[in-house]
Amino acid sequence: MTLSLWHFLAVGAAVFGVGLVGFLTRRNLITMFLCAELMLQGVAINLVAFARYHGNLQGQVFVMFILAVAACEAGVALALFLNLYRKRRSLDSSDWQELRELGVPAATDTEPLPKPVVEPDPVLTPAGARPEPTAEEVARV
Amino acid sequence: MTLFALTPTQEAGGQIALAAALGVAGFFLLLPRPSGRFVPGGIAALLAAAVVFGSFLYRRFGQPMPNVIESALFWMFSAGALVFGCVLVAQKNPARGAIAFAFVILSTCGLFLLCAAPMLMAATIIIYAGAIIVTFLFVLMLSQTDGPADENDRSRDPLYGGFAGFAFAGLVLFALYQTSQAANANQTRTADNRLDTRFPAPVLKAEDRKALASGLAELDAASAELDDAKTNADRAKMVLRYLAAQAHFAEVAGQSKDGRNDAGTIRTRLEKMPENGPVPAVLFRPDQQSKEALDRAAKVRALAFTERELETMLMKDKPDTAAVKTKAQKLRDEVALLYGTGDLPAANVRALGLSLYSEHLLAVELAGTLLLVAVIGAVAVAQRKGVAK
Repeated sequence: MTLSLWHFLAVGAAVFGVGLVGFLTRRNLITMFLCAELMLQGVAINLVAFARYHGNLQGQVFVMFILAVAACEAGVALALFLNLYRKRRSLDSSDWQELRELGVPAATDTEPLPKPVVEPDPVLTPAGARPEPTAEEVARV
Repeated sequence: MTLFALTPTQEAGGQIALAAALGVAGFFLLLPRPSGRFVPGGIAALLAAAVVFGSFLYRRFGQPMPNVIESALFWMFSAGALVFGCVLVAQKNPARGAIAFAFVILSTCGLFLLCAAPMLMAATIIIYAGAIIVTFLFVLMLSQTDGPADENDRSRDPLYGGFAGFAFAGLVLFALYQTSQAANANQTRTADNRLDTRFPAPVLKAEDRKALASGLAELDAASAELDDAKTNADRAKMVLRYLAAQAHFAEVAGQSKDGRNDAGTIRTRLEKMPENGPVPAVLFRPDQQSKEALDRAAKVRALAFTERELETMLMKDKPDTAAVKTKAQKLRDEVALLYGTGDLPAANVRALGLSLYSEHLLAVELAGTLLLVAVIGAVAVAQRKGVAK
């Protein structure tokens, strides 16, 4: 197989689609951010493949700017996440749904979360005869 | 006529739709939710989607393998990017998701290398896999939750979300397929009606580059010795030297004679390629690249010295050596650019830096300003007001 431009474009589109699914469905702010970065990577693959196709460096220069903007985005997003986390002690984006559009009903979680599995304390099997309390020993701790 | 005979377009559309539906099903099963998810089924559905997608790529755009290593690397890296992307989306633990994202970055960097972008590969690994992922892991450490939590164990509308994403990707792929059909109609085919994927002839052959390089070196040498030429006889020799240097690349770039442009090898080679005619189906466009080389060659021709010009500048009482040197320098730069055209330059970092600081200087400054503003903004947003709790 000789690789052609189409192969790279198709892979870029698929990576973008996976990132879009993650961005729409996940609720952890950090996972959402990483999925947005995944979409950026899909676009970057496209641009680099086009640069190769046309034999000039414009596409690669574009990717450099994507990198710069992604770095800015990461810094500001992290600062915002820290602030949000201090207010609600959670990274759940649905905690902030009072910011939603007018007229859209609030989403409520109906299913209960699974109980965390608590490891029971270890129990020793009793061995030997139960000691008889003696007179001089007043109380056992 | 069979009942289920499909046109190629319907077949491609069916493949894309099947892959998208399997992807939706896979993510629907895999995305975290409180009532438990069905991991084996989800992974199976995603694998099936990947197989259908791969067969779509192979059947629609691919050909049997003249270039095994490159295609093996391509499949490996693209599969890595997609698999770790799916892990990132479906993983409950965001720290593991961040690690999966680092692997996605490594895979896309492999794809960058296949597209001849080594500088971007290094930059992306350093910036993403190094800086961004590490800062995210710091935030994750701050917000570590024990046990199930709303943000990790619930998904927002997994079915609709998956459908939206995959419908989008499927439509893009279908549009790609149709464009590729239109482009393929314009491509050369071999005797058994396969796409011609032979490597096209390079725009500048090795001997052309050699001629350009030796011409360049002689121009430099002539300019360096120009000031030593004191007598008229010496200066006449210099005129001859400049002309001899130009003669090296005259055949490649063509030369102007009496106002008429003589065709060089680049032009004759381009004229052999039919105008807008079939081009081989490979990763780059030879016709466009040789047109670019032709533009450069025209600039070289326009800047080249004529004999009369050199004589009027040099063969007088006060020779105008400075003007000759400036013009020779300009000519030298154009020849160097012509030497570099034809394909992506091998010196990727140098060429990228040249492009950034010559064509995109304003954008570079703006990006720097943006980074500065972002740093100030991040500090301003993140600082705690009042006393620490």
